[in-house]
Amino acid sequence: MMAGPGLALAVRQTIELARRSVLTERRQLLNVLPGLVFPLLLAAVYSRQFSRALAMPGFPEVDSFLDFILPACIVQAVSFGATAAGTELALDIENGFFDRLIASPVARFPILLGRLAGASLVAAIKAAILVAVFLAFGAEVKGGPAAVLVIMAVAALLVLAIGGVGQVLAIRTGSQEAVAATFPLVFVGIFMSSAFFPTALMSGWFRVVAENNPITWVIDPTRRLVIAGWSTGDAIQAMAVPAAVTLVTVSLAILALHRKLGRP
Amino acid sequence: MAVRPAVEAEGLVRTFGDVRAVDGIDLSVAPGEVFGFLGPNGAGKSTVVRMFTTLLRPTAGTATVGGHDVVSGSGAVRRTIGVALQDAAIDPLMTGNELIRLQSVLHGIPRAVARIRGAELLERVGLTAAAGRRVGTYSGGMRRRLDLAMALVHEPEILFLDEPTTGLDPTSRQALWEEVRRLNTENGTTVFLTTQYLEEADQLADRIAIIDAGKLVREGTPEALKASIGSPTLRIDVQPGSVEAARVALGAFGPDRPAREGRVSIGLEGGAARVADAVRALDGAGVVVEHLELDAPSLDDVFAEATGRRLEGAGDGS
Amino acid sequence: MTAVVASRRVAGGPGGLGHGAAVVVALTRRGMARMVARPALVIPTLVMPLFFIVSFTGAFSSLTRLEGYGASNVYDWMAPYAALQGSVFAGIGGAASAADDIENGFFDRLLLSPGSRLPILLGTAAYSGLRSFIPTTAVLLVSWMGGLSLRGGPLGLVCLYAATVGMAVVFCLLGLTFAYRMRTVRSMMLVQVVGFSSMFMSTGQVPLHFMEGWLRVVAGVNPLTNVLQFARQGFLGPLAWSTTWPGIVALVTMVVVTGMAAGRSLGKIAP
Repeated sequence: MMAGPGLALAVRQTIELARRSVLTERRQLLNVLPGLVFPLLLAAVYSRQFSRALAMPGFPEVDSFLDFILPACIVQAVSFGATAAGTELALDIENGFFDRLIASPVARFPILLGRLAGASLVAAIKAAILVAVFLAFGAEVKGGPAAVLVIMAVAALLVLAIGGVGQVLAIRTGSQEAVAATFPLVFVGIFMSSAFFPTALMSGWFRVVAENNPITWVIDPTRRLVIAGWSTGDAIQAMAVPAAVTLVTVSLAILALHRKLGRP
Repeated sequence: MAVRPAVEAEGLVRTFGDVRAVDGIDLSVAPGEVFGFLGPNGAGKSTVVRMFTTLLRPTAGTATVGGHDVVSGSGAVRRTIGVALQDAAIDPLMTGNELIRLQSVLHGIPRAVARIRGAELLERVGLTAAAGRRVGTYSGGMRRRLDLAMALVHEPEILFLDEPTTGLDPTSRQALWEEVRRLNTENGTTVFLTTQYLEEADQLADRIAIIDAGKLVREGTPEALKASIGSPTLRIDVQPGSVEAARVALGAFGPDRPAREGRVSIGLEGGAARVADAVRALDGAGVVVEHLELDAPSLDDVFAEATGRRLEGAGDGS
Repeated sequence: MTAVVASRRVAGGPGGLGHGAAVVVALTRRGMARMVARPALVIPTLVMPLFFIVSFTGAFSSLTRLEGYGASNVYDWMAPYAALQGSVFAGIGGAASAADDIENGFFDRLLLSPGSRLPILLGTAAYSGLRSFIPTTAVLLVSWMGGLSLRGGPLGLVCLYAATVGMAVVFCLLGLTFAYRMRTVRSMMLVQVVGFSSMFMSTGQVPLHFMEGWLRVVAGVNPLTNVLQFARQGFLGPLAWSTTWPGIVALVTMVVVTGMAAGRSLGKIAP
């Protein structure tokens, strides 16, 4: 489909478009800030009000609530940015920049991948910053530097997974508002998972929802890397879920783009 | 001459940071007058209106409306005036009736009076049928007419209209002009109107002030302003043989101006009043007039002469 | 009701007390009419507190097993928190509608009314207070299904509604303070952050003595802790004067302070 020089060009275009989305994000510091401040506030408050809960039967063995909440904080922080990959694409479609890209000799999927790659990179950096902040406040990552790398990878993959959904919606609806409306769903998904409290201590239908929530499947193994120690199995499990979802959502996004451009 | 001006400004200034949006304006509008405030976008028209309507405090100078100072007597000013602001900002989720009712409450009109007057006004602007509908479903022209009706709920002595027809189609524009004229002639309402359309100022205003970059550059009746440009051009088509004779006959009426074949053009000193004399002179010289036109200087010429630029939108005016 | 009657009597002269009251009523009615006209406007006010009550009770239901938590059913503890948080957002939403009016020019129309501009501010605040009935009632219904108990009797409900209306008014006034100055709907995001954080750093989810370090200090001096105690008391046990007056004092003080701030801002926008 794409010859050698064509592929090189596509890669260069992907990088250029990724750079653009990183730059926009950096310029709109005000939009990035809530994504960092809000999860940190949650972590700060929860670690100072839930320490008594650590002794409850059913709570995993952990040194502090701060360690316990680290993965949740990072997942929350990066998902703030994740929908942006979708809303920005929708904005491009709304204001016509998208048409200009389509009309230019840029290959089709760098348009999608470039933006996702940019957001994904930003997410990995955010994750590293947040881990550093947590460490500064006395948290400990038992799994060591390898676990930190896994956390960064999980963050990057999560953004690809969620961002892919946002892009499918953006291409289908072409409306920024419609894509932005999905953000609360991500937010709700995080709250209805094991992010802030162990599922073992939940009850009723809420527990069923939380246990079958994919976000729980990501958070639990990631958390074990932080509070228990390195385990290759946990590392693979943590990354497998968002990787699988990414594969599906990005394929769907590319498919949606092809359909939009009138090609089967 | 001792009549108190309806609207008056002396040395009116408004600055925004370093920008002097309004830079020392003096003007006076007599009661019952339709005053046209003409200028391009960003000239300071709206800023002046906002100061007259107490929405903005002047940086320097004084302004009175209905004899009340816009700063110390702002409450009294607001009682005296009706205002239809630019873009007809109307809550799209409310119906025409609801807005008229809200406006009546804002102006403290007793409920019974408000109901009758509101119905009259809606009838007058042709919105009776649409009054129960949400404003979001109205066309641009309907919004402006509703805006006008709302501005009239408390029977103001002085009406401020900030670009009342910007963005309207010609038919809607005509309808609004009719309404403003009627208000002025039937109710004696003083109208202070800003516009960027030459034709609008020409059609409606008894007197015009031209504002550019925050300063008044010309003021007067449309006729006087145009006359200040110089005499109108008289063009006369005659039979091919008598061009020279016609030129000689008209020599006393004004300077010769360039004209095409078979036509004589002069700058007619004294304007329209001298047309009959000119025709008589031609008649006396035995020249047969086939066609005659008197082309007055336009406000656009006035604007161009005053500012060195042509006004935007001059094309869709005269 | 008195306001409407008074308006009929004095309405002839704009600028009077009756006229002011009539404007307050008219603006409140306008806000309500807007909500009826576009029910979607209500959804954010409704969804957020419902989400809070569901997720907080779901995730943290086991807290009741801890000694000294103070509630045997987690709904008794979380419902007032969710209702107050919802009311804070309802109040900011009221201010946001004023900011929207400023952005699109409708606010000028209000400013052009003769007499004092204060009724414009009061009308928005009154509308916000009324709006708070939506989240509070919705949270109560969900919590009632979850087994909420009203140990303090009907007066406990009165305390909750008084607190939620009060908080909506306070945060509406705070929102207006910013809206009148910054003149954008966007500026309300800032107030939302303030509203959420200040509720979050009080005794929303656990009692004060569960907290440690800086949070205990902050929550201890946070006036919203007093309001929460006042709002919550009827669900935990019989009402007591000692948990009532600090809440009322906090509410009244905040209304006065934010009211003065909003009034000053209005004075800036409308000379």
